[in-house]
Amino acid sequence: MFRLVSLEPGSASLRFCYAAVFWLIVPGVLGLILATFLYLPAVADSLPLAVKPYLSFGRLRPAHVNVAIFGWLSQVYFAAILFILPRLTRTPLYSERIAHANWWLWNLMVAGSLVSLPMGLTQGREYAEMIWPLDLLFVLNIVLLAVNIWGTVARRREPKIYVSIWNFMAATMVMVPIYAVGNKIWDPSGAYRGMNDNIVNYFYVHNLFNAWFTTAGVGLALYLLPKLSGKALYSHRLGLWGLWSVWTGQHHQLYSPAPDWLEYLTIVFSILAAVPTTAFMVNFFMTMRSRWHLAAEDVALRFLVTGAIFWGLTCVQGVSHSFRTFSMVVHFTNWVVGHSHLAFVASYSFWAFALTYLMVRELTGRAAYSRRLMEWHYWLTTLGMLIFMISMWVAGLIQGQNWSTYSIPFLQTVITMKPYFGARLLGGAMAGIGILCFAENVRRAARSRQPVTAPTHAWSGQ
Amino acid sequence: MKPNLVYLTGGSLISLLLGIIVTIIIPAQDPAGPSASAQPYSEEESRGRDIYLREGCHYCHTQQVREPEAGRGMVHQRGDIGPESVPGDFYHQSPVFWGTLRQGMDLAHVASRPGIGDNAGWHELHFRNPRAVSPGTVMPSYDYLSAEEIQSLTAYILTLR
Repeated sequence: MFRLVSLEPGSASLRFCYAAVFWLIVPGVLGLILATFLYLPAVADSLPLAVKPYLSFGRLRPAHVNVAIFGWLSQVYFAAILFILPRLTRTPLYSERIAHANWWLWNLMVAGSLVSLPMGLTQGREYAEMIWPLDLLFVLNIVLLAVNIWGTVARRREPKIYVSIWNFMAATMVMVPIYAVGNKIWDPSGAYRGMNDNIVNYFYVHNLFNAWFTTAGVGLALYLLPKLSGKALYSHRLGLWGLWSVWTGQHHQLYSPAPDWLEYLTIVFSILAAVPTTAFMVNFFMTMRSRWHLAAEDVALRFLVTGAIFWGLTCVQGVSHSFRTFSMVVHFTNWVVGHSHLAFVASYSFWAFALTYLMVRELTGRAAYSRRLMEWHYWLTTLGMLIFMISMWVAGLIQGQNWSTYSIPFLQTVITMKPYFGARLLGGAMAGIGILCFAENVRRAARSRQPVTAPTHAWSGQ
Repeated sequence: MKPNLVYLTGGSLISLLLGIIVTIIIPAQDPAGPSASAQPYSEEESRGRDIYLREGCHYCHTQQVREPEAGRGMVHQRGDIGPESVPGDFYHQSPVFWGTLRQGMDLAHVASRPGIGDNAGWHELHFRNPRAVSPGTVMPSYDYLSAEEIQSLTAYILTLR
């Protein structure tokens, strides 16, 4: 029977897993709709008038992004943090009740955004589109998660705090002020205007990546790595390096009307970000040394490793965009679309896939996975995303070069995009089918009554 | 609390606070006054701007001309992308629509482009059926907007000089 709140250990974590997989389908479908509209605008034109406003590109685009990063990815983060905490502190979660309240309130927020954004109710700022009541829910949820994290740590029986826990503590603590300031929640009509409105927005945008998706995400990866490879982390010190140096600045708006000194400051900080990212990569690959063969057998580990490689590429791109000369070519082009999907899908979501496979299995105690479906999930998603991202990067470089000739009419540069939009649609559809394989696999695990036959440490499916 | 817990909490909060002071509060101390092209919006223009926001036009159109392309970038003719955007251009705006992607052209100075951008009739036609006036464009048609809404939206677009 489905209860509002369960006190069974791990029950909230499992609910977060299921809800995440459920919400993942939504941005997948929305993404395919958006990609179809760009490739074949006639499809959007031919929609009946009754649904046209709600499926309009400009309304679906923020719904696609918000549900992807908050409905899917953040929920796996919630699930994994609640899953990992008791295991690394050797103590029960501070409050399973709070965790369930978290689940209800977070899903209320996600559902609210999926309803309000297609209705055109938006604050109109990138990644900060959610309307004011949903902003409040966001802050409340992170506070509740922080209470659980800090409460569990305070009661821990394991004296040593593993690097992942440090990351979770830091991420939740700074996310509250970052969200509150970045969304100006004390004045929803906009406490800053003009240039400063944008400066505040990009303070938030970048720190949402840094403080939440990266700081917490790196914590998750550094938990998964020894767990799936069966080998202790190469260096805890290198792990902490990553924790302390992830703050970079607003390099998203180079050559913008913002003051030059602010741009130069953020460029310096972005270059400095190469240090912690290199530390993470060294740590990751040194830990994996002599264990690479496991990635061939274990699909979850393969997702983790592939995600880490893509994460390294994300950071290389991120630093290179921070130079004005390169930014001038790729900014405003489809390159940026490729970059954001590299970060959110090919890196963080790949880690999230590995985490979900691991958590559902350990929390339900059932091994009902189809190894074949897992392979389909991996290969369709990986190859699909490669086609998607490479087509967008090539398209972006062409666009950037075309614009800087100053002699090609803009409309012509749009028409040039057609084949790349087609390739993106193909790649996106492949990744979409991969995601369906994933969801079906999780659904089967949830419904199976079969017990775990041989719980192995370096886990591989059936 | 153990010393390293204190370092963690204190260090994170101090670095965050410094970030807020340096990258938000200091830049806000010297707000630019309105530039010549920034006029307060009329009621109709303001309604149009709200429609621009509601329909998410800023996801495909930037309103931001960067220095290297200023006066040189080509929309219909060489240089008609317009002059570099300066802080004062956005004096009356919240949110601003600087944007991140140009699936469509930059609109910072769209109403200064003779014959097309400055032509209210062209915009109204284009909103209803973009492909009839710009073959090859990927812009969706906004034929679901009412005549009044299209009129307000057009009035707003014409403020982008």
